[in-house]
Amino acid sequence: MPKTADKATVDLGAGASSATTRPTNTRGGSGAARKERRAKRLELRHVDLFYSDFQAVQDVTMSIEPNRVTALIGSSGCGKTTLLRSLNRMHELTPGARVGGEVLLDDHDIYARNVDPVEIRRLVGMVFQAPNPFPTMSVYENVAAGLVLNRRGIGRAEKDDVVERSLRGAHLWDEVKDRLDRKASDLSGGQQQRLCIARAIAVEPEILLMDEPCSALDPIATLAIEDLIEDLKGRYTIVIVTHNMQQAARASDVTAFFNLEATGRPGRLIEMGPTQELFTRPGQKETEDYVSGRFG
Amino acid sequence: MPDVRLHYRDELENLERSALSGLDLVVASLERTMEAVEHQDMELAELVIADDDRIDGRYLEVHQQILTLLATQAPVATDLRLISALLHVMHSIERMGDQCVNIAKVIPLTGHDAPVRGEMVDRILMMGTQAASMLSQAKRAFEERDVEMARDLVRQDDLIDDLNKECFQVAVQVGEDQDTREWAMTMMLVARALERIGDNAVDIGEQVAFVVTGLFREFEDASHPGQGSLSGG
Repeated sequence: MPKTADKATVDLGAGASSATTRPTNTRGGSGAARKERRAKRLELRHVDLFYSDFQAVQDVTMSIEPNRVTALIGSSGCGKTTLLRSLNRMHELTPGARVGGEVLLDDHDIYARNVDPVEIRRLVGMVFQAPNPFPTMSVYENVAAGLVLNRRGIGRAEKDDVVERSLRGAHLWDEVKDRLDRKASDLSGGQQQRLCIARAIAVEPEILLMDEPCSALDPIATLAIEDLIEDLKGRYTIVIVTHNMQQAARASDVTAFFNLEATGRPGRLIEMGPTQELFTRPGQKETEDYVSGRFG
Repeated sequence: MPDVRLHYRDELENLERSALSGLDLVVASLERTMEAVEHQDMELAELVIADDDRIDGRYLEVHQQILTLLATQAPVATDLRLISALLHVMHSIERMGDQCVNIAKVIPLTGHDAPVRGEMVDRILMMGTQAASMLSQAKRAFEERDVEMARDLVRQDDLIDDLNKECFQVAVQVGEDQDTREWAMTMMLVARALERIGDNAVDIGEQVAFVVTGLFREFEDASHPGQGSLSGG
C-alpha cells in the first residue's frame, strides 16, 4: 500500500486534525495545554489477537472515551500490552500476528483495507516502557523527527514553533530550552521519557498510548509523568498500561482489568469502570483479588 | 495463583480483632455502669471513669495501626472499606466509653439517700441491658458480615427509644418534691446517654452494610424518618 500518496484520501474523520490546521493554543505552556478539545474515541468490538496459533487476547469489547485516561491493568501475560499495540497497528508488525474483530477510531475501522497503518500510527502515538530517544540526535532533532518524516517541506520557523510547543506540552521546555542542540542521551531518564512524549505529541496525534511509561523511572520522575498525563488528557485520549496499581488509581479515570484463566489461555477483559469505583467497589471477585494484591 | 501478602492479611485480621474487641471493653464498662446506677455505688462509678483510659488507649492503638496500614499497604476495595469502617467503629466505641463516663459522673449527684422511683430505675436498667445486648449483636454482625443481623439493630434500638420516652413521662409526672425532681432530671441524663449508646450500635450496623455492599446507607435517617438515606459509595 502506498504510504504517502493515499494519506490525503484516508480521512478517518481526522481531516481537521492535520498539523497545519491545528490551533496553536498550547504555546502558553501547560496552562494552555489544559484547555480541552474533543479528542477521538476508540471502540473495540470483539477483538481477538493472535500470534500465529496462540491466541493472546479473546473477545474484547470496550469503549475508550475521549479526553479520559484509561488504564489497562492485569497480571503478566494477560495480553494488555498486545491489546495496546493493536490500537495503532503495531501488533501486526510481529510475524504471524493476526487481529480479529474491529477497532474503530471515531467510527472508522483502523484495519479497513484502504487504511494506511503509518497514518494510523501518526494518529495514535505510542510512548514505550523504556525512554527511547534517538541517542545521537539532539533534543531538538528528536522532537522534530516525526514532524519531518510526516510532512515534507516544513519551514524552520514552523519547526521551531512545534518543537517549543511540544516540549512545553511535555513539561520539558524550561529544563532544555538552553541546550536544544545537546544529545538526547545527556538527559536524565525522566527527561528522556518526557522527550519521547514531546516527540509523540509533536505530530499532533489523536490518541496517546503509553506502555508502562514510568516503569524505568524513579518516583519523582514518575510523579512528573503522571502530572503530565493529567495535563495531556485535556487534548488527547490516553490509554496507559501499568503494573503499578497505585499509578492506575492515581492517574486514570477509567480502569480496565484483564486476566487469563490459566497460563497459555488468552487474556480476557474482566471488568471495566470508573477507576474510583474499581478500586473501592469492584464488581468482580477476580478484580477484587487482583487490586487487593491477594493473588500475584 | 499463589496467595500473596500473607503478612498484610494477618495485619488486617489483627486490626479487626483489636477494634471489635473494643466493643467487649464497652460492654464491660456499661455493665459496671448499670450496676453502679442500680446500687448508687460511687466506687464502682469511679472505676468506670478510671477504666475509660483503656478504651481510649484502644482507640489510639487501632487508629495508629490504621494509619500505618494506609501508609504502607495502600489497601483498596473491600480492604479499604473495612479499614474505613473500623475507623468509624472505633470512633463509636470511644464515644460509648465516654457515655459510660457521663453516666458514672452523675451518680454522685443523686445523693446518698436518693428518692428513688422504682418505675424509672427499672426502665433505665432495661435500657442498659438492651444496649449491652445490641453491642454484642453489632460485634457479631460485623464479624459475620451479616447485613440482616446489622439491620435488626434498628428494631432493637426502637425498644431503647420507647423506654427513654417512658422515662421522660415518669420524670414529667414525678411530683412536686424538689429532691425527687432533681433525681428524675439526673436519671434523664442517664437515659439520654443510654439512648445514644443504642444509636452508636446502629451506626456500627451501618458500617457492616458498607463493608459488605460498598454503599453507605443510614438505616434510619433522623431528618427523614422511615427511609434510609444514600450517602455515597
